Amino acid sequence: MQMRREEIADKLKDILLSASDDPDVLDKCTEDAKLQTDLGLTSVNMLYTVIAIEETFDIRFDDVTVTSFDTFKDVINYIEKKLA
Amino acid sequence: MKKDKKVNKAGLFSIKNFVLDFVRITAAPGMLWFRPKHIYENEAAKKRIKGAAIVIMNHVGMIDPMYLMLAIWYRRHRFVCKSDLMQSKLGGFWLRLFRCIPIDRENASFATMRQITDVLKEGNLVSMFPEGQVNTGSEMPAAFKSGMILMSVQSGAPIIPVYIKPRKHAYERIIAVIGEPFSVTEKYGPHPKFSQIDEAARYLHEKELKLMELINKPAERNEKNG
Repeated sequence: MQMRREEIADKLKDILLSASDDPDVLDKCTEDAKLQTDLGLTSVNMLYTVIAIEETFDIRFDDVTVTSFDTFKDVINYIEKKLA
Repeated sequence: MKKDKKVNKAGLFSIKNFVLDFVRITAAPGMLWFRPKHIYENEAAKKRIKGAAIVIMNHVGMIDPMYLMLAIWYRRHRFVCKSDLMQSKLGGFWLRLFRCIPIDRENASFATMRQITDVLKEGNLVSMFPEGQVNTGSEMPAAFKSGMILMSVQSGAPIIPVYIKPRKHAYERIIAVIGEPFSVTEKYGPHPKFSQIDEAARYLHEKELKLMELINKPAERNEKNG
């Protein structure tokens, strides 16, 4: 069964919460939040997050780089597309 | 949880490593002449590197990979190099023969990270220069980038810091200071936080500075010539 968009967002938030030291990260995680400026993710943070996403959703991030994603929504869209 | 794909362990002989091994064997007499003086941080650092490991070194010139191959001569090195170097036909040809792994420093791809992790999971030695570029200004290593920490977390491979003293004259002997292996997962567990990744990179940079200082402190070091 295909995962709903909200479920994907919740799992992503869990991943970020477990890795981030910022207690307010959940409040900042809106769909339009920019990964680098709003959530404060560096390129290494993003690579690390992707490792966790791949394990959680059992998908692979192919042909994409750290600059392929600008906002939280871009990541959800990509995962949604991969799970479809 | 996804199963890891089956990886082929790096064998003693492999056609893929032909050029790399050919150069290592034919360069052996030269290696005797240029053999570095080894200094070890402690007894743990003296142990031969077995299995997967990430070797990091200060970067002062384009010839550094050769120095590192001389310092850890008994293992094949898979060097991580900036992708720009692969752009030229001749450079790209040789770097591919030497099985270097190109990485785009400005825009790292997830596939490259996975490729490096797979190379480590095959039991290979991956060597890199975490300063990210040649540091021509000073003997003091610049701050380290933290990508190596991710590779270590994903593969479980320890990180071995090496400091090589820049030579001022061609006749000077190379001095290689080998540090104790550092396991990121042993220190922070399998899922470190973002801040711990940065902390590990800073720790290794401090360790590199400590290795540099060992050259000037004969009383604290373990030496071995040749």
